[in-house]
Amino acid sequence: MQGMTPPPFNNAGWTRRELLTGAVHGAGTLGLAALSGLLARDSRASTGTLSGVLHRPAKAKRVIYLFMNGAPTHVDIFDYKPKLAQMHGQPVPESFIAGKRFSTMSGGVKGKLMLAPIQPFHRRGKSGAWVSDLMPFTASMADDLCIIRSMNTDAVNHAPAISLMLSGAQIPGRPTLGAWLSYGLGSERDELPTFVAMTSVSKGTSCGQIFYDFYWGSGFLPSKHQGVKFRNSSDPVLYLSDPPGMRREWRRGQLDALAELNRQKLGAVGDPEIATRISQYEMAYRMQASVPELANLASEPKSILDMYGPQVLEPGSFARNCLMARRLLERGTRYVQVMHAGWDQHNSITTELYNQCRDTDQPSWALVQDLKQRGLLDDTLVIWGGEFGRTPFIQNDIANRKTWGRDHHPYAYTTWLAGGGVKPGLQYGESDELGMNVANNGVHVHDLQATILAACGIDHEKLTYRFQGRDFRLTDVHGKVVKDLFA
Amino acid sequence: MAGPDKPAPAFDRDILPVLSDFCFPCHGPDAKSRKADLRLDTAADALRHDSGIIVPGKPAESAVIERMRHADPSKLMPPPKFAKRPTEAQIKALESWIASGAKWGQHWSLIPPQKPTLPTLPTAASIWPRQPWDALVLDRLTKEGLKPAPQASKATLLRRVTLDLTGLPPTPKELVDFLADGAPGAYDRAVDRLLASPRYGERMAWEWLDAARYADSNGYQGDAERTMWPWRDWVVQAFNKNLPYDQFTIWQVAGDLLPAATHEQKLATGFLRNYMINGEGGRIPEENRVDYVFDMAETVGTVWLGLTFNCCRCHDHKYDPLTNKDYYSLFAFFNRTSVDGSGGNPQTPPTLDAPSPIQASERIRLADLLKGVQATIDTLEKEFAPQIDPASEAGKALKKKLADRSATESLAIRKALKEFAKQYGPTLDEHEKFKAARDANERIIPRVMVMADQPKFRDTFLLKTGLYNQPADKVDAATPPALPPLPAGAPVDRLALARWLMAAENPLTARVTVNRLWTQFFGMGLVKTPEDFGIQGERPPMPELLDYLAIDFRDSGWDVKRLVRSIVTSATYCQVSTVTPELLEKDPENRLLARGPRNRLPASMLRDQALAVSGLLVDKTGGRPVNPYQPEGIWEEATFGNKKYSQDKGDALYRRTLYTFWRRIVGPAEVFDNAPRQVCSVKVYRTNTPLHALLTLNDPTYIEAARHLAQIALQSPGDETARLQVLANRVLGRPLTPTEIPTLAKALAVSRSQYKNAPEDAEKLLKVGESERDEDLPAVEHAAWTVIAQIVLNLDETLCKE
Repeated sequence: MQGMTPPPFNNAGWTRRELLTGAVHGAGTLGLAALSGLLARDSRASTGTLSGVLHRPAKAKRVIYLFMNGAPTHVDIFDYKPKLAQMHGQPVPESFIAGKRFSTMSGGVKGKLMLAPIQPFHRRGKSGAWVSDLMPFTASMADDLCIIRSMNTDAVNHAPAISLMLSGAQIPGRPTLGAWLSYGLGSERDELPTFVAMTSVSKGTSCGQIFYDFYWGSGFLPSKHQGVKFRNSSDPVLYLSDPPGMRREWRRGQLDALAELNRQKLGAVGDPEIATRISQYEMAYRMQASVPELANLASEPKSILDMYGPQVLEPGSFARNCLMARRLLERGTRYVQVMHAGWDQHNSITTELYNQCRDTDQPSWALVQDLKQRGLLDDTLVIWGGEFGRTPFIQNDIANRKTWGRDHHPYAYTTWLAGGGVKPGLQYGESDELGMNVANNGVHVHDLQATILAACGIDHEKLTYRFQGRDFRLTDVHGKVVKDLFA
Repeated sequence: MAGPDKPAPAFDRDILPVLSDFCFPCHGPDAKSRKADLRLDTAADALRHDSGIIVPGKPAESAVIERMRHADPSKLMPPPKFAKRPTEAQIKALESWIASGAKWGQHWSLIPPQKPTLPTLPTAASIWPRQPWDALVLDRLTKEGLKPAPQASKATLLRRVTLDLTGLPPTPKELVDFLADGAPGAYDRAVDRLLASPRYGERMAWEWLDAARYADSNGYQGDAERTMWPWRDWVVQAFNKNLPYDQFTIWQVAGDLLPAATHEQKLATGFLRNYMINGEGGRIPEENRVDYVFDMAETVGTVWLGLTFNCCRCHDHKYDPLTNKDYYSLFAFFNRTSVDGSGGNPQTPPTLDAPSPIQASERIRLADLLKGVQATIDTLEKEFAPQIDPASEAGKALKKKLADRSATESLAIRKALKEFAKQYGPTLDEHEKFKAARDANERIIPRVMVMADQPKFRDTFLLKTGLYNQPADKVDAATPPALPPLPAGAPVDRLALARWLMAAENPLTARVTVNRLWTQFFGMGLVKTPEDFGIQGERPPMPELLDYLAIDFRDSGWDVKRLVRSIVTSATYCQVSTVTPELLEKDPENRLLARGPRNRLPASMLRDQALAVSGLLVDKTGGRPVNPYQPEGIWEEATFGNKKYSQDKGDALYRRTLYTFWRRIVGPAEVFDNAPRQVCSVKVYRTNTPLHALLTLNDPTYIEAARHLAQIALQSPGDETARLQVLANRVLGRPLTPTEIPTLAKALAVSRSQYKNAPEDAEKLLKVGESERDEDLPAVEHAAWTVIAQIVLNLDETLCKE
């Protein structure tokens, strides 16, 4: 965010001592790439430029991940398979499932019946991308999107698959994408967190998977890189509000006295950590103003609120979180993870899926269009997608339409990207004629991670952190940048 | 140290790390990723005389040197695409090592520790040490051209050591007594008093619970509540009773296998069962079960051996002499439990009932009562049965045991016997009543998940890339060959493993344990990677000190209190923590120990301190976890309303943080910068962010504590300055300086005038927290002082141990 007023305390929480030695973080030592980034921060903060420390030119300065928790059904929304409609009610051909592992909820997969997409698909825009009628708003912006229909992953259960997508490993405890970005790129501004996570769920859904805090965890990275979970209740940030009977201007005076005493202490004992503490209290005071200002949507014109749809003013709605995400990015937050649960339609493809699409379609569209009209889309990468797809075959009884469902499906699914230097209107990769497996240009989870980092100017093999004697990275030992996605 | 006299580099300090960093990834222990069929991690391979890779005495002929400097990128090693390059100094060290004969060695932590000879100090310096090993520190400082810092003031020392040993600050009386005790040995006496305090076990348990991934719920979807807290209470008691560390270990790893194992020994094995349980629908039970066994094996590997066994789940270790097979051989010790992977039962068998004394006596009482009533019933039935038609419903029912009868059958008998024995019906009712009471009692008895082996052992296979359904070769339970062997002839089971962990020959356990305990007091270990003593971990800057303490600890019979006493009564520990510019430049992390420790307190200790200094702390020990204040909606939002946080009332709000309910998927909101308690973690988390400042400024616990502190000050005699001193004394354990007093006095005057003009705000501030306030105190005055108490509670000095 160039041109923003630099904060009076030019300190993102690192003392020189910490920088040079990694002192405060126990086990870890800084990876080389990140170290250079961190050392360069002082100069960067004053000029607002990221150049000189990155591995490659950055196309994206900010990232929003619209994470569809529970796994949206690719074959009903984005991946049009006429053959699937033709084969409706017929058993799944064995050649498509041989040797594959599915969730136990499907039991044996052999003999399962194929299920046609529940809504018609149409070609959209100049790109002619097929998108179903379930997502009319998203369909209308097909030319802004880069749709990847060849995503694939290793995990078949939610928590491990989400963990894999966000942290590179199925087992919880590794740093997540946002933590790596915070670690590698630092913050643009101090009054707001660098990495924010927000969650929502469609009302009344029976398909919601809960949100674990390791989805925005920092793993073994210093905990300041952890995502700050914005809450849906009164204080978006924990303990943000002053207690009753403590006015803001009084708090100012109280903190001034505190800082004065801490400065006396610093003079007496010389521990540079005290200087950091003084600046952290100052930053906390400023966050108390900047966060409510951020969360106050009164300044948004009606035309903007209308774009995001009827739920935009409801706390805890996806629509409101999308608008909040835009406001956060405008104010210097680097990465926002907007997670929406309720996509796990094991028995509600013909019922709850409609609500799910309704609640997410318009806000996702609005976010992209809103960023675009503000000129922010060029250097903001928006990602929409879940942890896997859903089976092209049915779960439950084909004679009972109301209970139609689809099970977990890791072998092919769809994710879309927009902005951040990615080619608009591109359709990348294909699944086979039934949407079962990747047919060409497969993009594995680790490849997507490498590509997201690349968009931000980071070489995924070089952004490392030493823990337990090993240089860890987001992509583990895998990942290939999908260069074709970039304009 | 420059010039021709420069000693040859030490293999384990200067050479092995370079080979490890730059060569082992492709030429190390992992056979699968090995390139060019070349191995450089063993002497036999690296020094193979026909290979020309390392030619002892001839660096110019050694390919390793040539390739590291090669101009041709296709020949350069490591290859250009490898992210890291050795420095010229590192290559020079290799050269010099080869020139001096390329003497091979072993990684330091695998060589058994030797007790170092203590240096003889010059007479002038010899008065400094208070523990024999202080001499090692002093000797090193002298060699570095440094001097130890002066001893910290008595007040500072008492606060430091009281926080370190009990997790709480000294009370004003303890401080007065200590300052008044001018006799020699006053400090040692204070230390002994603290070690004997029941608070000691509570403080020592914290890091152990982190390492043991202790939580009060399963984790994952559902996150069902478990009742492992009797195990937590056992840990506290074990520290308080100073259970020797070898027993502490053996009980937790294999207490169930000890001959005639006691209740306590079985309870201790709950340690291994603290893993997360996955109740997510669609999970394959066997996959879960294997995950649980992974977790047990890896936890033991980290806690006792400080080795990163987890790396070997999928492949041979890239750096350390641990293979994929070694991993599954260790795994095999734990793969014999009957633990099942299906469902999310938070009390998955095997379990152990851990009734409280009341529940236990209630159990006996109800069993006796039931027995008595049953006897009466039996007698009556026996007496009158002959008078009932055996073909009737009642007659048939009488042939069944009481417990096997249906309700209708019971009713039939009751009707039939009514005319013969009036008391039969009421006795039956009584029986029902006692049974219900017994069942109710049984339901609330906590059941702790513990260890037990199956009678017939499950076969263990190496699992390809760690996948439960990809078994390869069968493996037997065994310890890693890189470490000393199990004793010959003994059965190979968990008990043997536990004893092996504590065997005198084991080069790791004592070092790893001493290092972890040292970390608790100094904020950083002697090895700063407590989770990794392998080749990629840190080589300790003061290896002699680590080894001295390790051997001393082992030879003391693993006496934990003795070790702790040795650390906190040392001259090294008692130094003032002031940082001089010289030290900041020369030794910013205080690795040479030329000053005392100064670190921000862990979040749990911050809360406990606030409760203690304000007089709110309820010092009850053990029992069910409690739910203190927590911002609204945290559990609800994380679980879509399935888990509702129900805040406790009264005493439960003021218990030590150790007793706060730990919901694994979100953790207590007040505990920041802590191990997440999902998997084993022994590393230190310490950061400095604005979110922490918001917590200690705005959390009701801290505001309520400030209100009570203010009340104590206002109830004290004397003028304003004297009352400010009361505050400082309680919180900082020292009087305010002449420059601090005016700053606080001015802030107090400002605050007083603010509340005078807005008395309704004073009332609002004083309503924070559920405890009552002394209504005799004027609200405006009380509120103004609360603001001042908040300042004192948020001082850097308060937040830190110094």
